[in-house]
Amino acid sequence: MNNGPKKNLGANFDPIDRILSADEQLVPSSGFVSSVMERVREQAAAPPPIPFPWKRMLPGFGLAVGVFGWGAFELVRYLPQAIRHASFAAPHLPVFASRDLTQAGWVALACVLALLSWWFSSRLTQHSRIL
Amino acid sequence: MAELTATRAGAPQDLASQDAADVSRVLSGDVAAFEGIVRRWQGPLVNMAWRYCRDRNRAEEMAQDALVRAWRGLASWRRESSFSTWLFALAANVYRSELKRFPTVNLPLEEVAEPIRPAQQHDELHERQMGERLRRAVLTLPPRYREPVILFYFHEMDMGSAARTLRMPEGTMKARLARARELLRRRFPHLNELTASAQRGSEIGD
Repeated sequence: MNNGPKKNLGANFDPIDRILSADEQLVPSSGFVSSVMERVREQAAAPPPIPFPWKRMLPGFGLAVGVFGWGAFELVRYLPQAIRHASFAAPHLPVFASRDLTQAGWVALACVLALLSWWFSSRLTQHSRIL
Repeated sequence: MAELTATRAGAPQDLASQDAADVSRVLSGDVAAFEGIVRRWQGPLVNMAWRYCRDRNRAEEMAQDALVRAWRGLASWRRESSFSTWLFALAANVYRSELKRFPTVNLPLEEVAEPIRPAQQHDELHERQMGERLRRAVLTLPPRYREPVILFYFHEMDMGSAARTLRMPEGTMKARLARARELLRRRFPHLNELTASAQRGSEIGD
């Protein structure tokens, strides 16, 4: 390491400038160049990364777009009719059905809580850089 | 810094043309040509990394990573800016993300203590201690102020070079530097006394 400022700053200079510009100079170790070149040669010799299989993905992607497009088209086609014929009065449900609905509510609540807990824990691990 | 390296290795134009020639050779498949670039820039990159982490071994590892990344991304140097500007900007990105993954200093700025009664000790040792503490304190600054300080002094107080390395307007750079100095002065209130004592010492010496 070499010490000393590279610029000769007088005592009148801002002390922060004077001190921080006088930082020591490191000389890289003797094996530095060879270790960098070794890593470079390793990477150069490594096979190129496998390209993303766009050709294989395209049919599946096309199918998915078709299915969702068809779904959206059907929804748009039947939604106005469904709204027109919908009655907003509460349907009369038998007792066993309403009990099932209550249970479904609890299941939904549990799902939401599980989702929140997963989101919260993943946020925590991100912030603490555990993973 | 590029200019400094150039004075050591030859004229800046020579250095730039050597870099450009080596980059062309590497891009045409000659891996060994990269060695010239590594030899020319190892010093500045290790020293730049040292200012980011103040750990010699880690600085070398970070500089290695930066050079390997530079080798992989050589094709992205558009030759509009100088090679050094491109390389330093890339290295700054590598160092920043490395320190984000594994921070080097855990102390908050408030806990970096100034030596007690510095004005009463006029010796060189004290000034050196103060200097080291101040440099460590730089690492405890918030990142938005830390990097401008590191790069401003790395580039030997060349505002333009530091701003280009951070890809930031010079005005923003100046504002952040001023705020960083203010934070450091607040942490080291005896800095001005130290300067006054150094001035007195130099006058006596004359």
